Amino acid sequence: MAAVKKQPLLLRGLDHLEELVILCLMGAATLVTFAAVAHRYACGIPSLQPYLLGVNLGWAQELCIYMFVWMAKFGAAYGVRTGVHVGVDLLVNRLPPRLRRTIVTLGLCGGALFTGVVGTLGAKFVWELSRTDSTSPDLEVPVWIVYLAVPLGSYLMCFRFLQVIASFWRTGELPHHDAARVEGLP
Amino acid sequence: MTALLIFFLLVVLMLTGMPISISLGLTVLTFLFTMTEVPLESVALKLFTGIEKFEIMAIPFFILAGNFLTHGGVAKRLIRFGTSFLGHLHGGLGLGGIIACALFAAVSGSSPATVVAIGSIVLPAMVQQGFPRQFGAGIITTSGALGILIPPSIVMVMYAVSTNASIGQLFVAGVVPGIVLATLLTLLAWIVARRRGYPRLPRASWLERWRAFRESIWGLLLIVIVIGGIYAGVFTPTEAAAVSAVWAFVVSVFIYKDLKLREVPRVLLASANTSAMLLYIITNAVLFSFLLTHENIPQGMAEWMTRQDLGPTAFLLVVNLLLLVAGSLMEPSSIMLIIAPIVFPMSQALRIDPVHMGVLMTVNMEVGMLTPPVGLNLYVASGITRMGLTELSRVVLPWVLVMLGFLALVTYWPPLSLWLPGMLFR
Repeated sequence: MAAVKKQPLLLRGLDHLEELVILCLMGAATLVTFAAVAHRYACGIPSLQPYLLGVNLGWAQELCIYMFVWMAKFGAAYGVRTGVHVGVDLLVNRLPPRLRRTIVTLGLCGGALFTGVVGTLGAKFVWELSRTDSTSPDLEVPVWIVYLAVPLGSYLMCFRFLQVIASFWRTGELPHHDAARVEGLP
Repeated sequence: MTALLIFFLLVVLMLTGMPISISLGLTVLTFLFTMTEVPLESVALKLFTGIEKFEIMAIPFFILAGNFLTHGGVAKRLIRFGTSFLGHLHGGLGLGGIIACALFAAVSGSSPATVVAIGSIVLPAMVQQGFPRQFGAGIITTSGALGILIPPSIVMVMYAVSTNASIGQLFVAGVVPGIVLATLLTLLAWIVARRRGYPRLPRASWLERWRAFRESIWGLLLIVIVIGGIYAGVFTPTEAAAVSAVWAFVVSVFIYKDLKLREVPRVLLASANTSAMLLYIITNAVLFSFLLTHENIPQGMAEWMTRQDLGPTAFLLVVNLLLLVAGSLMEPSSIMLIIAPIVFPMSQALRIDPVHMGVLMTVNMEVGMLTPPVGLNLYVASGITRMGLTELSRVVLPWVLVMLGFLALVTYWPPLSLWLPGMLFR
């Protein structure tokens, strides 16, 4: 993570955008679901009924799902950067350094390959969807816009894997999510 | 044959150290491109629909709630509450810590979060009071595992997602075993502490106990929201999770005021990071189990199992051993998602109750979190205590044996988990 400062402005912008997007989706999905529940019970209170019955929050559940799908796809890309995706690295870490380097690189390439293929499959799928006029059941947005999360998220993830490969070759270090670090401890 | 190839490929890919989610996905892709004639379109569709279930969304909400609670001063009030009742006994602070772990487990759904929340406060305090470091580390690392047994539980949601079991029933089924385990741990810790003459705290008056209770009531209300809400049919589990996230936010920021408003984005980001990782594993595990089902592997194994004439007793023994090995090598969510779809049809063929199966798998995951080389609770506890993994595993070992005994009890005495849901959901 030491290399962060040297990154060009565009990349730093992308980092911040990524963080901002998943953070907002997380908060918004919570609020939407909470609002829907609160609304359902507030409707039971007679004095509030005239104001609330006109409001239909039936789409909240669908919106929550879509927001979380988007959060999951972009969050997964963010996770590559923060090293949160766990693997079984016991064996690899015991190998001699040169062999370890090769295997780890192979593993990372596997990640880039998989996300690249999924991105392409997704892009094709979205492209075909965009020529139909199917819309989502409650929100009635075109489904291809909803599903755009898959190609965008996967390509971004692929890009993050390539970045990790590059920095691994340069510095020999992998982003590491330290589960053992506890905030607020000396 | 196909089954062997699939699992062989999966294991090889996992051994390269690549993320488990990616290994699952690559296994599926390799298969699709080389061996089967599953149309690629249906796979593309799975990629989208894999996590499009409202039940799954309980996971990010519970993680968010847990993160708010960890940073929001709920833990220290629960500890005060626990010690006000048990503090005057030998090893009082430790016993209070176990109770606090059980209570925190009842408001959050994750074990490592429980160890962090309770351990980071109790452990330094215990050392200061003159407890040997090993004792505190052992009991808190172990009681932290209650996090996934006492509802809510993220691991149980994972099980429900992969087997279509009812989340509500699973949650309720975890209550009695959770209480039994907490009692067992407290009792054993007290016996050990008394024999070794560990320090006691001055006895708290009933007024102090009442104050401690009133202080922690805001956090404890979450138990009512989750269990009461789901049981009474007020919420679906996902809605209960969302409400508890909002409530945890309100409690931490506005009632206890231990979390600053400007720290909230950081909590949101950290929760999103963890949730996205879990959701990504789910997506790929769904893809993987789609491949397994398409190749008829779980059904084939279930038939094979019936032909072996293995009774439920032997079957459960095999499942337990498999899960214990897996549990010491991988983290719980992945295990649930990979192994549950495989063993579930077999357990159905043997007429084992799905809820009982879920509870025993969860207890297995608890043990897995305490056993090296990969035990999340050990990692977290070693971060708090600055003890090495080897030493920590050694001090946790006696408690792991207790857990194994408890696992045997849960496995072979189904009423322990099935009695309460049987009473409530009739």
